[in-house]
Amino acid sequence: MRSQSRFKSKTRKRRKTRNKYFEIEEGGRLNPLARYVARVCLDPTKTLIEHTTTTTAAGSLHTHIDKMSQSLRPYLQCVRSSLTSALCLSNFASQTSERHNVPEIEAQTSPEVLLNPLTVARNENERVLIEPSINSVRISIKIKQADEIENILVHKFTRFLTQRAEAFFILRRKPIKGYDISFLITNFHTEEMLKHKLVDFIIQFMEEVDKEISEMKLFLNARARFVAESFLTPFD
Amino acid sequence: MAAPEVHHLFHHPIADHSFSADKQTLAVARDTSVELYGRTGNGFKLKDELKGHDKLVTSVDIAPNSGRIVTCSQDRNALVWEPSPTGYKPTLVLLRINRAATFVRWSPSEMKFAVGSGARVIAICYFEEENDWWVSKHIKKPIRSTITTVAWHPNSVLLAAGSTDAHARVFSSFIKGVDSRPDPGVWGERLPFNTVCGEYLNNSAGWVHAVSFSPSGDALAFASHDSSITVVYPNGADQPPRAVLSINTQLLPFMSLIWNGESEIIAAGYDCEAFRFQGNESGWQLTGSLESKGRAGPEREESAFNMFKQMDLKGKTKDDTKLTTVHQNTISTIRVYEGSGGAVRKFSTTGVDGRIVIWNA
Amino acid sequence: MNIIQQHSDASLAENWRTINIDLLDPESSSNFDTTTLHPAFAAVSADEARGIGQQVRQLLRGGDAEGALRGSLEMVPYGGDASAKEIHLQTVTEVLQSIKASEMTPMLQRIFQSEGGSEALDVLMKYLYKGMASSATHKTPSRGSTLTPQSTGFSQMGGRPGAGNESSGAAMSVLLSWHEKVVEVAGLGCINRSMTDWRKV
Repeated sequence: MRSQSRFKSKTRKRRKTRNKYFEIEEGGRLNPLARYVARVCLDPTKTLIEHTTTTTAAGSLHTHIDKMSQSLRPYLQCVRSSLTSALCLSNFASQTSERHNVPEIEAQTSPEVLLNPLTVARNENERVLIEPSINSVRISIKIKQADEIENILVHKFTRFLTQRAEAFFILRRKPIKGYDISFLITNFHTEEMLKHKLVDFIIQFMEEVDKEISEMKLFLNARARFVAESFLTPFD
Repeated sequence: MAAPEVHHLFHHPIADHSFSADKQTLAVARDTSVELYGRTGNGFKLKDELKGHDKLVTSVDIAPNSGRIVTCSQDRNALVWEPSPTGYKPTLVLLRINRAATFVRWSPSEMKFAVGSGARVIAICYFEEENDWWVSKHIKKPIRSTITTVAWHPNSVLLAAGSTDAHARVFSSFIKGVDSRPDPGVWGERLPFNTVCGEYLNNSAGWVHAVSFSPSGDALAFASHDSSITVVYPNGADQPPRAVLSINTQLLPFMSLIWNGESEIIAAGYDCEAFRFQGNESGWQLTGSLESKGRAGPEREESAFNMFKQMDLKGKTKDDTKLTTVHQNTISTIRVYEGSGGAVRKFSTTGVDGRIVIWNA
Repeated sequence: MNIIQQHSDASLAENWRTINIDLLDPESSSNFDTTTLHPAFAAVSADEARGIGQQVRQLLRGGDAEGALRGSLEMVPYGGDASAKEIHLQTVTEVLQSIKASEMTPMLQRIFQSEGGSEALDVLMKYLYKGMASSATHKTPSRGSTLTPQSTGFSQMGGRPGAGNESSGAAMSVLLSWHEKVVEVAGLGCINRSMTDWRKV
C-alpha cells in the first residue's frame, strides 16, 4: 500500500516537470496528447521534415536572426502586457440564447461585451491581433514569411497544428483571415490554467516559431543542394 | 497584522460565497451546486450539498437572521432554501426571466431579494402569503444589457445595480405592503417602484463588476472593467451629484468591493490581491495592497543540487508556477466577515482558485 | 408593410437563408446602441485636425516636445471622420518619433504626475495601438510580382522582411518602445482602459 502511494507520487512529480508549456495548478489534470502536441509544436522538425545534420549557410542566417532579435524583445513584451490585460475573463452566459454560454468573441451578438481589438505589429509581415471580449479572447498571429518557401512551410506547419486542435485546448481550428494561426482562450481556460502560463505559452510559441521556420528552411535548402549535387554529378 | 486565514476548499472556481450569521456555516457556489461547509476547529468540513440547479450557480446569499439561503443560476432560476430539521427545503421562485440569473442578494430587511439577470431586468422577489410562494416584480428601464451585480441600501428600498452596458444605477424597489415608506434622503424623496435615482457612466466605460453603498447609504462606489473605482456622492432628487470621483488605477480590473467605514474601500479582482482605497468627497486614492509582501515561508534556500535539477528539467532555476499572492487566481467575491457599525474588522475573499481567505482589515 | 415583404424583394435574389433575423428585431441584443457608452462628440473636420497638427508642429519646432505631446493628446478629434482621425494619428506619430528614447520615461512620468495625466496616457496608449494597426493594413505589392530571385523561394539573399520594409519596421519599433515605457509608467490598467473606451481615436 505504502509503496504504491510512493510510486504514485513519483510519477506525478515526473509528469508535472514535463508540463513545461502547460503548467497547471496542483491537482489539475492534463490530457497527455496535449503534452505531446505542445512538445511537437516546439520541435516540429522531428515530424515535419526529416532531420538532416548539414548546417551549411547557417552562419549568414544566424547573424541575420541576431540583428532582428533586437526588435523582437519589445515586440514580445508588448504582446505580453496586452495579453495580460486582455485575459481578464469572467463566466458570462449568453444574452441572445437562453441557457447557453458561448464565447462572445465568436458569437458577436452583443456589441457591448466586446472590447476594442488590439494590434501589435513589429512590421508589416509580423503582427498579432488580440480581440478581447467578456468571456473569451481571440489571438491571431501572422508569422514572418519572407518568400514563397517560407509561405509553404508556415502553411504546412500551422495546418499540422490546427488538425490537432482538439488536443490543444486553446488552438482555434481556423485562423482569422489575414493571419496564419489563431488561438481562442475562454474563461474556462483561465479558470483551469494559470493565466501567466498561458501568456508565457503564446510568447514562447511566437519566439520559437520563427526559429523553427528558419531552421526548416535551412534543412530544406541543404537537402535541395544535396539533391542538386547528386543529380549533377554524373554530368561533370 | 496577523496573517490571513487561508482554506483551500477544492480546485474549482468559487462563483460566490456567504457565511451564516454565527460564522459556523459557509456556503460556496461550486459549479451546479452549492456546498455547505461547517467550521470544525481550524478548518471547514463539507456538511451538505444543495442540488437543485442544472447550470452553473452564479450567486448565493444566506440571510443572517432567518437562515434562509437564496441561490441563482445560469439555468434562469432562483431557489430559496428553507432550513428545516431534516435539511434544506428548496422553493422555486417565480422569476419570469428567460436568460441566466447572474446575481442575488437579500435585502437587509430579509423580506425581499433582488436577482440580476441576462434578460436585462432585475427581479425584486418577495413572499406572497396568500399563494404561499415567492413572486417577483421587474425593474426594466433603462437597463440595456446583462446585470452583473446588485447591492442593497441599508433602508431595503434602494438598490444599486451594475451592468455590462457600463452604467451603475440606483433604483427604487419599493413594494407596497412589504416595505415601509422610506425617509427622504440624498437619493430622492418620493420613491415609487422603478424610480431611477441615479445613473452613472465612466469616461472609459468598462462593464461594471461591483457596486456597493457606503455604510450610511449616502455614497455609492462601483468598480468597472476599465481598472477604475468610482465613488458617487449624490445631492438629492433631480440634482446633479455633489461629486463623482473616478480613480483610474495602474492595476487590472476589480471584481468586487466593500466599504470599511465611510472613508475606506477595499477592492479585489484580477490582480489576485486586495487593495485599499482611502478618501472622502474631495478625493480618493489607492493607498496600497493588503497583502504583506515578502512573507517568510515558501521561499527557502535552494540547494545547489536542486538548482541544477530545476535547470535540467525546466530550463530555469526558479519555479514560477506559484503567484506571490495568497490567492492564485482572480478574486471574484469579497464580503464583510466581521465588523460593527460599518467598520470592518475581518473580511473574506473567494476566487477562481477555490480558496477562501479571511483577512484582517 | 411587414418585414418579410420589405426584405423579400431585395433578398430573394441573394441567399435569404443567411439573413440574420436577430438584426431585424429592435429588442435584440445585437442592436445595442453603443452611442450610449460615450458622451456626444463635437464634429471635427479634416481641416480642423490639420490645424491642430500645425499647432503641434509649431511647438515641436520650438523645442517643446513635451508640450507638443500633451497638446496632441488633449485635442483628440473623437468626433471626426476617418480622415480627420488619420491626420491626427499622423500628428501624434510625428511627435512620438521626434522624441529621443532617453527622454521618454522622464517625460511620461512628468505627464502622469500632472493634472489629467493619467487620461493623457490612456489616449497615448490608444494611439500606439492604432498606429500599429494602421501600418499592418498598408500593404506592399504582393511578393510574387517582384524580382525573380525571390520568386523561386530558394534564395538566401533577398526577400527578407527586414529588407523590404525597413521603414515600417523602424516606425513600429518606435511605437513598441513607447508602449513599453507607457506600461511601465501607467500600468496595465492603461491597456484595459484603451480596450474598454468607446471614445475611439
